[in-house]
Amino acid sequence: MSTAPATTTSGSAFTSDALPFTDLAVSDQSSFEIRDGAVLLRGSVSRSSGSRAFPARLVCHETGARDMEPMTFGPRGTLYSYSTVHVSSSRPTPYTIGYVDFDNGVRVLAQVESAGEMLACDQPVELRADGARWFVSPVSQQGASA
Amino acid sequence: MSQAYIVGAAMIPMGKHRDSSYSGLALPAVLNALASAGVAPSEVQSVVCGHAFGGMLTGQRIVKEMGIASVPVTNVDNACSGGATALHLAWKDIQAGRHEIVLVIGVDKLTQFGGGTLPLVLEDPEVQQGMVMPALYAMRARRYLHERGAQPSDLAEVSVKARRHGAKNPYAQFRKEVTVDEVLASRYICEPLTLLQCCPTGDGAAAVLVVSDAVRRRLGLPAVRIAASILHSGAMTTGFRDMLRPEITYHSASDAYEAAGIGASDVDVVELHDAFTIAELVYYEALGLCKPGESADYLKSGKTTYGGDVVVNPSGGLLSKGHPVGCSGVAQAVEMYWQLTAQAGARQVDQARIGLSHVTGGGIAGLDHGACTVHLFERAL
Repeated sequence: MSTAPATTTSGSAFTSDALPFTDLAVSDQSSFEIRDGAVLLRGSVSRSSGSRAFPARLVCHETGARDMEPMTFGPRGTLYSYSTVHVSSSRPTPYTIGYVDFDNGVRVLAQVESAGEMLACDQPVELRADGARWFVSPVSQQGASA
Repeated sequence: MSQAYIVGAAMIPMGKHRDSSYSGLALPAVLNALASAGVAPSEVQSVVCGHAFGGMLTGQRIVKEMGIASVPVTNVDNACSGGATALHLAWKDIQAGRHEIVLVIGVDKLTQFGGGTLPLVLEDPEVQQGMVMPALYAMRARRYLHERGAQPSDLAEVSVKARRHGAKNPYAQFRKEVTVDEVLASRYICEPLTLLQCCPTGDGAAAVLVVSDAVRRRLGLPAVRIAASILHSGAMTTGFRDMLRPEITYHSASDAYEAAGIGASDVDVVELHDAFTIAELVYYEALGLCKPGESADYLKSGKTTYGGDVVVNPSGGLLSKGHPVGCSGVAQAVEMYWQLTAQAGARQVDQARIGLSHVTGGGIAGLDHGACTVHLFERAL
């Protein structure tokens, strides 16, 4: 890099495509946004293949193409399955997590919070937010905060 | 049976990449290696990933992100030889006709430990006594100074050459030249080895694509033939070991030369395991580049730099380029590919045709080292 700016990455020089992804850096970008009161997740979609993903990423997981663009989705989804965790090496217990299927074809692992009502597979859920945190709750639960 | 060839290679610049995960480190190297060979992720038939500290499923965590699916992914730990062992396994599978396109990855992130010496396995009785990697090499250095009548400045000259070479390598972690006085004035890590005689803590990733002869012909790209790929483990002794004659490297090198029908004097360019200055001197002798007892003079006479007999560590070696342990064997193969296909830019070794790479691995009680890999490469016509 000390000589002429490289146009392609090779043994003699490199361009920005050789730099490691700083995927562990603390992001100033939230993983969700609120639009007209609805909580939407920020994922990404490949310009060439159309592959969709959450969280947002830099590389298409189907082709390796570096052409991911921003995509938002939600707030409604379907609870595919779920579990309340009582023993965990990663977080204080108990807590409930579940897989939520969105109509764009993306499945997301989410915190599930309910106000006492029973959960069920295939139940409609929606995205909610509390400060910087997002989660899902059953749709029947009204009066969510934003 | 097929010969095995490297047809694509890439790495990331080595350094302290604290904000990158293992996949974040490796993906640019993997994508650029594939791109340089014009091979799509879906064409890769097998993946071997060398690492020492990546944790479970390191290779899968990388390739799942970029379109390599379902094919066998094997993760290899052999301490510092992990990456070179991954290359060895790829070579074996191509040779056996089992696969035609194998992706080899080497990756490690040492900044996760915060600094200091490499964490060794606490089950080991010598580690329990306080063994750390620089101490092993320091004792080797102490013995070298004692037996050879050498001076600490003879050791320091290794770092001076490494930094001079590394200054021309954009991928090197250290790109500033140093003097003998600066090397000797830096603080002790393990006496007599000073800081500037030890490879740095750092993070890196490298990838090469190994293919069969049929695929090489189809691609029609510059290629490097793997002329020999040798992996040895150490032999236990509870008795006296001559620390200036590391038997695992002597045996691996001699097997490699025999397998390839290539002699030490045929080699144009070498990347050897200079984790500490003393290692380079001892390995000149073990690899047959000079006679036993002559290594210090061999270095000082300029025989191992540009214009000499053989250019040793044109990349800057582990001392300058960096040594993210499981990455290093693959990073060496990347350098060999660039050197032997005349793509090494300002550090190009003129007319390089035959290359040798060498990595050892690990410190465990009773062994010289736990692993050693020697590869011979030849420019393909």
